[in-house]
Amino acid sequence: MTQTPSIPRRAVSGCLALVALFAFAGCKKSEAAAEAKPASSATVQAAVAEPVTLQGSGASFPAPVYSRWFREFSGKNPEIRVNYQSTGSGAGIKAFLANQTDFGASDAAMTDDELKQAQGNVILLPVTAGHIVLAYNLEGVKDLKLSREAYAGIFLGDVKKWNDPKIAKANPGVKLPNQDITPVNRSDGSGTTFVFTQHLSAISEKWKSGPGTGKSVNFPAKNAVGGAKNDGATALIQRTAGSLGYIEYVFAATSNQPTALLENKAGKFIAPELKAATQSLAGIELPPDMRAWAPDPAGEEAYPIVTYTWILAKKKYDDKSKADAVKRLLKWCLSDGQNLSESLHYIPLPSAVASTVSKAVDSIE
Amino acid sequence: MITDSEPHASKPVLSLSYSVTNFRTLMDRALTMFAILLSLAALFPLFSVLYMLIVRGGALISPSLFSELTPGAGMEGGGIGNALLGTLVVVAIASLLSLPLGLLSAIYLAEYGTESKAAVVVRFAGKVLTGMPSILAGVFAYAAVVVTLGSFSALAGGVAMAVLMVPTVMLTAEQALLAVPSKMKMAALGMGATRTQMVLRVVVPTALPGILTGVMLALARAMGETAPLLFTALFSDYWFEGNVRAPVASLAVLIYNFSGSPFPHLVKLAWAASLVLVSLVLVLNVIAQVVIKRPTEQ
Repeated sequence: MTQTPSIPRRAVSGCLALVALFAFAGCKKSEAAAEAKPASSATVQAAVAEPVTLQGSGASFPAPVYSRWFREFSGKNPEIRVNYQSTGSGAGIKAFLANQTDFGASDAAMTDDELKQAQGNVILLPVTAGHIVLAYNLEGVKDLKLSREAYAGIFLGDVKKWNDPKIAKANPGVKLPNQDITPVNRSDGSGTTFVFTQHLSAISEKWKSGPGTGKSVNFPAKNAVGGAKNDGATALIQRTAGSLGYIEYVFAATSNQPTALLENKAGKFIAPELKAATQSLAGIELPPDMRAWAPDPAGEEAYPIVTYTWILAKKKYDDKSKADAVKRLLKWCLSDGQNLSESLHYIPLPSAVASTVSKAVDSIE
Repeated sequence: MITDSEPHASKPVLSLSYSVTNFRTLMDRALTMFAILLSLAALFPLFSVLYMLIVRGGALISPSLFSELTPGAGMEGGGIGNALLGTLVVVAIASLLSLPLGLLSAIYLAEYGTESKAAVVVRFAGKVLTGMPSILAGVFAYAAVVVTLGSFSALAGGVAMAVLMVPTVMLTAEQALLAVPSKMKMAALGMGATRTQMVLRVVVPTALPGILTGVMLALARAMGETAPLLFTALFSDYWFEGNVRAPVASLAVLIYNFSGSPFPHLVKLAWAASLVLVSLVLVLNVIAQVVIKRPTEQ
C-alpha cells in the first residue's frame, strides 16, 4: 500500500515530461520559424517592416489557379502575403460581407440581394474563366460528337442508349454499342451544376420547364448517378462503363478522360480546347457591374459551356496599405498571372476583357 | 459440472481425460477460432488504411516534407511543414483551454459534488457533448470567436477543438479519479491530511495514468477533425509566426484541400499528410496504452 502511490508517480512524471516535450517542441518550432522568416526576407526587403497580409476565401473552382497566382505574386513581392482558402462561393460571399476577409471569390458573382447588403462597397472582378466538359467512358470511341439534342436528351433521360439515332447521326462511321448511357451528375450543390443547367436551360425548352437552373437540381434520367465534388464525379465516370458526366475541364485534362465535341450555337462541333473556350469569352459583352453570363455563347468556333469566376473586392478599404496591396495583386493577376492560366487548364481572359477589368481595379481605393 | 454438484448424480458422465472429440472441446475450439477471425476482421480496416497510406504517402516522406511550405497548383516539391506546425499550434491552444477546465471539473465531479444537482447536470451535458457532431463545435467557435473578433484565427480553431476535448477529458478523468481505492483516501485523511491535500497528493497522482489516457484520446480525436477548423482556423500557406489571431494551416484542412485536387502532386501530398496525421494519432494512442499499462506490470 505504501508503495502504490510512488509507482504511478514515476509513470506520471515520465508522461508529464513527454507532454512538456511535446509542447516545448511546438513552441521551439514556431520560434525557429519566426526567427528564420524575418531573417530570410530581411535580405530581400530591408526597407519594409511588416508584410501586408490579404485574406480571401470562397469559390473552390478557381482555388488552384488562385493559390498558384498568390504564391507566385508573393514570391516576387515578399512585402505582400496573400492567403486563400476554398470554402465554396456562398460561404466566401458571407465572410466577405461580414468583413472577415479582405476579398471574396464566387463562381456565381453576387445576387442583387447580396449586392444590396454590401451597401455599394463591393466591386466584382472576373479574373479567370473555365469551361465544363462532357467526359465519357465508352470503349473504342474517340472524338465523340454530341448534338445539342443528344446531350440535353441524355440528361433528360430521353436518350437512353449509346446507339440512339440522335447520337449516331452526328457520328457517321463510328461503331456505337447498344449500351445503356449512365448520366453522371454532382451529388453536392455546386457552381458547376449551376453553369451546366443554365446552359441546358438555354438550349432546351424541356429542360427549362423541367429541372431548370440551380446549384443542385433533380436530374430526370432514372439511372443517373451522383458523385461528390469534381473529383468524385470524375472517378465515377472512370469506373462506370457507358457513363457520361459534366466536370470541370481541368479534371478531364489531368485524368486523360475522353471528352465529347459539343455542337455550339452556330451548329459546329467544338472540342473543349482552351482556344475554343477563349473564343466563347470574346463574344461576351461585359456590363458595367461585370456580371456577365454566357449560357449559350455565339461565335463560329466558340465552345458552348463557359463561365467566368469573380473576385469580390471592396471599393474602399479602411486600410490604405491593404487597398494598395489588393490593387497590385489584381493587376498582376490580370497581366502576368494570365500566362499561368493555360498550364493550369484555366481559360486566359481575352486581352480586351483583361484591360476592362484592370481599369475597374484602378478605381479601388 | 452441474452433474457433479447435484447430490444424487449416480452415473459418471464426464471423464477427466482430455479428448479432442469431446463436444465441449470442439465447441471451445470453434468459438475461439471464430473469435480470432472476428477480431482480425475488426482490425482489417485499420491495417488496410495503414497499408494504403504507407504505399501512397510513404514515398514522399523526407526531411523537406516537414520543412517546406505547401506548394501551389501545378508546382512540384514543397511540403506540409506549415500544416504540421499549425496542427500542433491549434492542439496546444485547445489543450491550454480544455485541460484545466476538464480536469478541474472532473475533480469536482469525483471528489466534491459527486451527487449534487450541478454534478448531475454537468455529467449529463458532458455525455451529450461527446456525441455532438464536430461541425457544431466549429459553428460555436465561429459565432463565439470569429464573429466577435472579426477574423478567422488559430484561436478560433483552438476553441473549437477545446469544445470537442473538454467532455472526453472530463468524463475519463472522473472515472479515473473514482477508481482510486477509498482506503487510500481514508488513510490520507486519517493521517491528518486536509481534503485538498488528499486530492492533490493522493487521488490525482494515483489516477494520473487514467487521466492522461483520456487526454491523449481527446488530443488524438481533435487532431483529425476537419469540419470545425474549416471555418474557424481556415488555412494559411505561410508559417505560423506567433499570431494566434491570424488563420493557421492544419493537416486536416490540407488533406481536405488537396485530396480532391486535379493535380496529382497535390493528391500525393494529401496522402503523405494523412500518413503523418495517422502516425501522430497512433503514437498518442500507443502512449496512452503504455501509460495505463505500466502500473499493473510493476
